[in-house]
Amino acid sequence: MALKPADIEALIALFGTSGWDEMQLEIDGEELFLSRDSRSRLTAAPAFAAAMPAPLPVAPSVAAATPASAATPAATPATTPAATPATAVANVPATRPGHWVALKAANLGTYYRAPSAEAAPYVAVGTRVTAETEVCMIEVMKLFTTLRAGMAGTVREVCVTDGQMVEFGQDLMWIEPA
Amino acid sequence: MGLNRLFVANRGEIALRILRTAKKLGLETVLAVSDADRDSLPAQMADRAVCLGPAAATKSYLDINLVLHAAKATGCDALHPGYGFLSERPELSRRCEEEGIIFVGPRAESIKALGDKLSAIALSKAAGVATVPGTDHITSVAGAQAAGEEIGYPVVMKASAGGGGKGMFRANGPADLAARYDSASREALAAFGDGRLYLERFVEDARHVEVQVVGDGEGSVVHFGDRDCSVQRRYQKLIEEAQVTAMPPALRDRLRAAAVQLTAHARYRNAGTVEFLYDVARQDFYFIEVNSRIQVEHPVSEEITGQDLIARQLSVAAGQGIGIRQDQVTLTGHAIEVRINAEDPLNNFLPSPGRVTAWQPPTGPGIRIDSHIRAGDLIPPFYDSMVGKLIVHAPDRDAAIEAMLRAIRDFRIEGPKTTLPLAAHIIDHPDFRANRFSTRWLEDTALPAFLQE
Repeated sequence: MALKPADIEALIALFGTSGWDEMQLEIDGEELFLSRDSRSRLTAAPAFAAAMPAPLPVAPSVAAATPASAATPAATPATTPAATPATAVANVPATRPGHWVALKAANLGTYYRAPSAEAAPYVAVGTRVTAETEVCMIEVMKLFTTLRAGMAGTVREVCVTDGQMVEFGQDLMWIEPA
Repeated sequence: MGLNRLFVANRGEIALRILRTAKKLGLETVLAVSDADRDSLPAQMADRAVCLGPAAATKSYLDINLVLHAAKATGCDALHPGYGFLSERPELSRRCEEEGIIFVGPRAESIKALGDKLSAIALSKAAGVATVPGTDHITSVAGAQAAGEEIGYPVVMKASAGGGGKGMFRANGPADLAARYDSASREALAAFGDGRLYLERFVEDARHVEVQVVGDGEGSVVHFGDRDCSVQRRYQKLIEEAQVTAMPPALRDRLRAAAVQLTAHARYRNAGTVEFLYDVARQDFYFIEVNSRIQVEHPVSEEITGQDLIARQLSVAAGQGIGIRQDQVTLTGHAIEVRINAEDPLNNFLPSPGRVTAWQPPTGPGIRIDSHIRAGDLIPPFYDSMVGKLIVHAPDRDAAIEAMLRAIRDFRIEGPKTTLPLAAHIIDHPDFRANRFSTRWLEDTALPAFLQE
């Protein structure tokens, strides 16, 4: 069971209303560390900031969530609700093969992995794609643009989560060319 | 402060200016950036910077949908548009309101009403404030000639649908009107889709004066003094001053009263500038237009009043009113601002983008630099060329002139060419020192003299 962003949000909310100073949680190899002190750090695995949808419900400082398998360098922990979150989530390999190609956002917007809330995602890790394959949608003020893979290959990594705001140039997914 | 998180939809020095005050007031800040501004000083200063799109302004700062989406998705409850870009698009004000985001500026209807030249003139008349003697739409050469007789030559014919010189010409007598009326109307039609012209008195020696106001949107308006912006090239201001010492005190009182009267009548909300044409020969002034945004030259008004105008803007936006009464605003001393443009005045003001290898502003009491530039920064070629503003405040105009000359001399900039050397030449010029110049002076007199040196 992987910690999903909704889970992390719920845990942050719970922590916020608790009287605790610090919480360290390990579930199935993933660790979550929350602290009211913005200077404290989880001493074990490298820190890896989770994608946080803004606004956060908790006022005190919140340190980053940490998938234990992450090997990427430390990112800035969120110290205010408006702090810059890095991209997040599961399926991050230790090193990314150099021949993989990133699909990047062409503008800021909200990322959607499926055509609608009830539908299946356009793609997942392992999906074979062609240049014309629809892979996601970016929405800007209710205007939806469907992105296509632009190349033949296999989706190897999805970097962002459904409903997350993405910025221009942000990596959305990595595709291994066929 | 009733606001929580402010979205700043601009870049460069004004973004930095807004962020400074927002932070001072304890607001969280989110800045919109284009790909070219990711590493800028404002981006580092904001709590969060979000990249809207590539460098091109049309794909980033000018895209209303991207701006609104970013403000909403980052949980901002207010948005400051700065100046330029989207700041005077009524649509931004309206859509912010629709999305539940407080727009730090006027209502959409105000921006629209004041943005249309003839509508603004009508508003001025309704408020009892004099406009340049002129007409409504002229429909024939005969009509133009009759108006010319009544107003007095020389006159200028202008297109009502737009500016920039299109469809505009000066007429010294009825023969000029007959000769140029039809072609001007065709030019206006081609440029704006509307060939209608109107006629105004042409003032030979005009000065550009303006009044800084802040309104609460309910009929109360406070002014923060007047400014003289007569040093212009192609209708772009280069040097601005506060206070307007070229006007006698009684006339200045009337000027400020007129600005307040007009904007109060319009129930103007937030900061704005009322622009007037000062007819020195006739010792009279005429309303020209209202700029419904914070302006580039606002620092000179801040210096002579000791007030933070961005804070006043945020106060009105937060529903807390202007926050100061007129009798609490005092005007002290004289301030001069010089715009620093990355352009080569010796090469027809060709833009000079590129790496800034040295940036050492002058320091000292009465010296203020509003700039986002640091040594090592790259000035991008995608936006206007203004890289900063140098402002001095001194007890009187002569002292301010000396202080500005010293400040420019002590300012070390290497890398791009700038307009600072030209500014020094202007400020040292006898006409400038004597305060005897019109809006044509820079192009007719000072610039040619500078180029000959």
